[in-house]
Amino acid sequence: MLGVGHTTADPRLPSALCGAALAVFLCACAAGGTSASERERERELAARAGGRLASPPEGVQIPLAGEGQRFALRAAKVLTVEHSGRGFVDDGIVVVKDGRIEAVGPASETPVPEGYPLVDLGTRWVMPGMVDLHTHVAGSESANDINDMVLQTNEGLRASCAVLPGTELLKRELSAGVTTVLFIPGSGTNIGGQGVLLKTGLDQYESMRVRDPGSLKIAQGDNPTRWGYGMGRGMMNYHIRTQVRKGLAYAKSWREHEQGRGARPEIDPQFEVFRALFEKDTQISTHTQIYQLVLTTMTMLKGEFDLDVYIDHGEWRGYLATPVALRLGVNAICGPREIDSPAPPRVDTDGRIESVSAGYQSRGMTEVGFNTDAPVVPGEELALQATMGVRYGFRGDRMEAVRGLTIVPARTAGIAHRVGSIEVGKDADLVVIGGDPADPRHGVECVFIEGLKVYDVEEGRRW
Amino acid sequence: MRSPMPRNRSLWLALAAFSFAAPLALWSAPAWAQDPAPKEGDKPAEGQDSKKEEKEEWFAVTNGDVFTGTGSLLRGMTILAKNGVIVEIAGEVDIPEGAKVLDAKGLRIYPGLVAVSSAGLFGGTGSELEDSVDPFSSRMVLGLASGITSSGVGSVAAKLKRGEIKGVVMRDKYSTTLAFSTNNPSTKRNLAEKLELTARYLREFRDYESKKASNKDLKEPPKKGVDSSILSVLKGETLARFNADSREDLLGIARLAQKYGFRPVIDGCGEGWTVADELGRAGAFAILTPRDRNDKSEALVRPGGSSIENAAILHAHGVQVAIIPSTRGVDLGGIAGRDIIHLPIEADFAVRGGLPESAAIAAITVVPARILGVDHRVGTIEVGKDCDLLVMDGDLLHYQTFVQYAVVDGKQVYDKEAELWFAHIRPRTTASLAPDVRVDPGEEVDPNAPPKVDPPKEGDGPEGSTPPEEKKPGDGDAPPEKKPEDPPKDSGDPESTGGEGGPAPESKPEDSSGR
Repeated sequence: MLGVGHTTADPRLPSALCGAALAVFLCACAAGGTSASERERERELAARAGGRLASPPEGVQIPLAGEGQRFALRAAKVLTVEHSGRGFVDDGIVVVKDGRIEAVGPASETPVPEGYPLVDLGTRWVMPGMVDLHTHVAGSESANDINDMVLQTNEGLRASCAVLPGTELLKRELSAGVTTVLFIPGSGTNIGGQGVLLKTGLDQYESMRVRDPGSLKIAQGDNPTRWGYGMGRGMMNYHIRTQVRKGLAYAKSWREHEQGRGARPEIDPQFEVFRALFEKDTQISTHTQIYQLVLTTMTMLKGEFDLDVYIDHGEWRGYLATPVALRLGVNAICGPREIDSPAPPRVDTDGRIESVSAGYQSRGMTEVGFNTDAPVVPGEELALQATMGVRYGFRGDRMEAVRGLTIVPARTAGIAHRVGSIEVGKDADLVVIGGDPADPRHGVECVFIEGLKVYDVEEGRRW
Repeated sequence: MRSPMPRNRSLWLALAAFSFAAPLALWSAPAWAQDPAPKEGDKPAEGQDSKKEEKEEWFAVTNGDVFTGTGSLLRGMTILAKNGVIVEIAGEVDIPEGAKVLDAKGLRIYPGLVAVSSAGLFGGTGSELEDSVDPFSSRMVLGLASGITSSGVGSVAAKLKRGEIKGVVMRDKYSTTLAFSTNNPSTKRNLAEKLELTARYLREFRDYESKKASNKDLKEPPKKGVDSSILSVLKGETLARFNADSREDLLGIARLAQKYGFRPVIDGCGEGWTVADELGRAGAFAILTPRDRNDKSEALVRPGGSSIENAAILHAHGVQVAIIPSTRGVDLGGIAGRDIIHLPIEADFAVRGGLPESAAIAAITVVPARILGVDHRVGTIEVGKDCDLLVMDGDLLHYQTFVQYAVVDGKQVYDKEAELWFAHIRPRTTASLAPDVRVDPGEEVDPNAPPKVDPPKEGDGPEGSTPPEEKKPGDGDAPPEKKPEDPPKDSGDPESTGGEGGPAPESKPEDSSGR
């Protein structure tokens, strides 16, 4: 297991989290140092060792990529995509300062501060960077990086230790306007490990990281049945339930200790992630599909254990369980199988081709997002998931498709305070695009992450 | 009547003439055409006499905006067909009694799409297609539903004749596949030798032909060793088809083509953008998938690998580009947008890379028809051509647009509302089919009013013709963006027919109850 065997890496650190520590060190070393001081790094690692999320930990300031940059963009349309509201501004201006949005609004009402260069984008549109909550793109292209299949449940493993900034796959995400990805372990086991939320276009792990753990990846679909001698649904559910129970007991003992009740528990690297889950600092992203699996995902993890969970890689008529999802407050992120077609007995659509996302939407779910499973499906085709959803019945006339690519996944993953819309104070993750992002004819022209220009077709169109 | 002459077709005269042989029985020359102007491919053929005996079957599509595929947009036109062949396109047409009439008011009419190759749409393959076709296959319906009316399948150019076997095959052996690969140098050597031998034979034979009348003693040159398929390529009877992606192979093919004077069809053509000028000079056709992703070998210093701009660059250098998705069969496994039923979506990605929209439409209609040697019959809407039409609810290249009706050989063979596949998606609600609900995105919102979630207004994108997925009044021809259960609302805008690139009409107040 990751972390074991590295206990001597730094005697000041609790052994449990050395895996994570090592990942940070590796990235830092590979990059030839970090902007954070040694002392800050220690504090960060200590904070991580405390089991709470550290992104960034209190007291540690990892500067945004565009620190020091100030500029303003003027576009024919700015898709602001705030969660509630109109969601767009015609002839809008976006003012960016030090990596964050300083102001956004109609050009007539939004003055550009003195000294800020104003870039007039003409007829182009500006939208927030897209968010893909199901990818395997941030490591080497070997699936072995992130799909350990020795044990059947691997809640202690972290995808963050496999992150390689600037890979070809990450560049492709960038060229399609995808600025934030959840990089997760594969679905070869029931609990694959911890994903990490990353910015795609930056060159240091520490700058890329939005949150670690980004999620605990659970797979309920068919893939884990390949483990060992093959497992059925009963065995898989039994294992998940058992591990979650153990993990929550561990998390509770820590909370009691922190509240002054009970002795300090021994750190268990396997279950540390449950402390974050228990405190609602992260979510469970569940690769789940087909009615009975989606139902189990929701009733077990949310209903029984009250953990934040969302449907990821949602497909194959899982939307039949939408009433339960609405009752429990579970969002659905759909794709890459965006259509159901007549294929009984697993899927029987009575001869129709139906959209999965429309299935959720038409049953009343308003928070429906899209994901790709890149590179199984090209990550640059995230927007195409929405395209296909709308083509086959997803209603997009209130910007639902754009929302499903931006603010919905951002809210679902609990990172909407930083990404997913163009609002004052948020990260300046901006995409300049020819028009409607769901129309494949419109290419991405330019991408900013935290105010830093990271892709520009002037230097060659990649997608 | 307007039937604009297609461009760049003079080179096709020879090929078109050859392709008469197979479809002759089906081919009816437009003797009844009101426009007497002769068109290439319209030369009266003997077949017309036998047709005259048959019962006349008339078919008309009325009030449609006709995108002919030849560069014209004819608004509010009626297309009249007799026995499956278009005889008139005009605003005022006398429709004969007994004609079947399809009202396309508020809708657009495009030529039927041509898949340059496909698998599974016919239930059979290859030269035995007529024996193995299943004209009642659900896949054929799905093909029509996605706009495909003709397709290459194996070595055959065929039509999706729903419910009929006769006339399925338009042309057999439309091309000759040749092997040429740098990775397998013997293929290059073999091909070069065969071409040289055949070209020499052809020179001698033509010399003999020209002199034999005056010199009775001349002997016909020996045909020994001459490859008949290569001979048909050099004579222009069939196109030479290659599978090639690498720059080296493409260059080699282009040079052979120029040296021996044939036009190559290159399937793949991944690195074509790096040698587009050579391919253009060779008069090449490219069959490509704009989304193909191939990294350049790290060992090479030259430009290479795939490019989203491939189609655009090739087109700019005079290469005729046909577009085909990466999956040439129907894939209903769930991952949508990559298979044969998404031809326009694949073409969209070429537009993304800079291909003009007209060329993108040609790449899924008339260019593949040329490659299949059936462009005298299908690929554009012109008098004298087969009446293969799509009646669509919007811009062919827009992702929300669906085929409402498909017409093959002057017969309506598909109606979206009457088939299971897509009837539930944005169903037509009125007899006139005009989109009846308008959602106005550009409405000025009272800042004091409670926030409302409005869709964006169409911006003038670089193409100027690409509506966002949120439909607006400007897209008169776009599908109504509404739930099936939404009651129809009278927007007072029943006839908005904004064309491609047209400015959006005045905004209308939004009916917020439409949510």
